[in-house]
Amino acid sequence: MNEQVKEILSRVAVETLEQLAFIFSSPEDGPGEIEYDSLMAASVSFAGPFAGGLVMTVSPQVVFELAANMLGVDNEETTLDQQYDALKESMNVICGNLLPAITGKQAVFNIGSPEIITGGEAIKEATEKYNGRSPTSMVRLDIDGEQCVLFLFGDIRITGE
Amino acid sequence: MAINILIVDDSSVMRAMILKTMRMSGLPIGETYQAANGQEGLDALEQHWIDLAIVDINMPVMNGEEMIDRMQENPDTKDIPIVVISTEGSETRIERLQGKGASFIQKPFTPEIIRDTIMAITGIGESDE
Ligand SMILES: [Mg+2]
Repeated sequence: MNEQVKEILSRVAVETLEQLAFIFSSPEDGPGEIEYDSLMAASVSFAGPFAGGLVMTVSPQVVFELAANMLGVDNEETTLDQQYDALKESMNVICGNLLPAITGKQAVFNIGSPEIITGGEAIKEATEKYNGRSPTSMVRLDIDGEQCVLFLFGDIRITGE
Repeated sequence: MAINILIVDDSSVMRAMILKTMRMSGLPIGETYQAANGQEGLDALEQHWIDLAIVDINMPVMNGEEMIDRMQENPDTKDIPIVVISTEGSETRIERLQGKGASFIQKPFTPEIIRDTIMAITGIGESDE
């Protein structure tokens, strides 16, 4: 089942980044190193047929591109506020598309407001435990040599079509 | 005839993206107004003439569904066309919003979907042939 969730998470993240911000990514296998200190991160919680959270750590270069592409401006032209906003909204869209892909379209979830996590230690903690529990699945994406990792937490049950 | 548009979304980047997409699609846009939650959206509706409201669902302070309910309770705003642009994926909720007369577009969207939905709900472009 974990493999199935992982596949759905990976597919939804890749499709969302592409459709939302023209960012092309490919899933990577293996554990790999995560450089928490140099990353940006955001989390979003959800509640419904099951509750949990989604955390994404991502290279700043990817976030610059995310914000610039969403706004239709050059990479150097975005502010930190816009970068944070773009990261949060991307999390919101990934989470909103992920849950029905797992449970089917009848289930009703409430998605919380995405939050930015700052500081290497806090980011590391957020990726390790959510409500005292380890991630249910983790997906690593390669974006032009830059890193993006998603951690899904919760008692995830596949019930969808 | 240019239409005045109100865009309500808690993400300023998303608001800019929706506006950019609408401009690109060649819709005749008049004045545009922005609000970061349902309450600010209702305030903007009181202050300005709005022909079309674009409304997100997940927002702090007042969510989009409550804003739509309030718009429908008010004779001044109940006939304003509404397009919900949201990550909402639950058919149960989408049908409830459509039952309130709103059109629905799921994020992420394409420029074509925005253009076609707005043309259909406002009737713009129908008499151009
Ligand atoms: Mg929102």
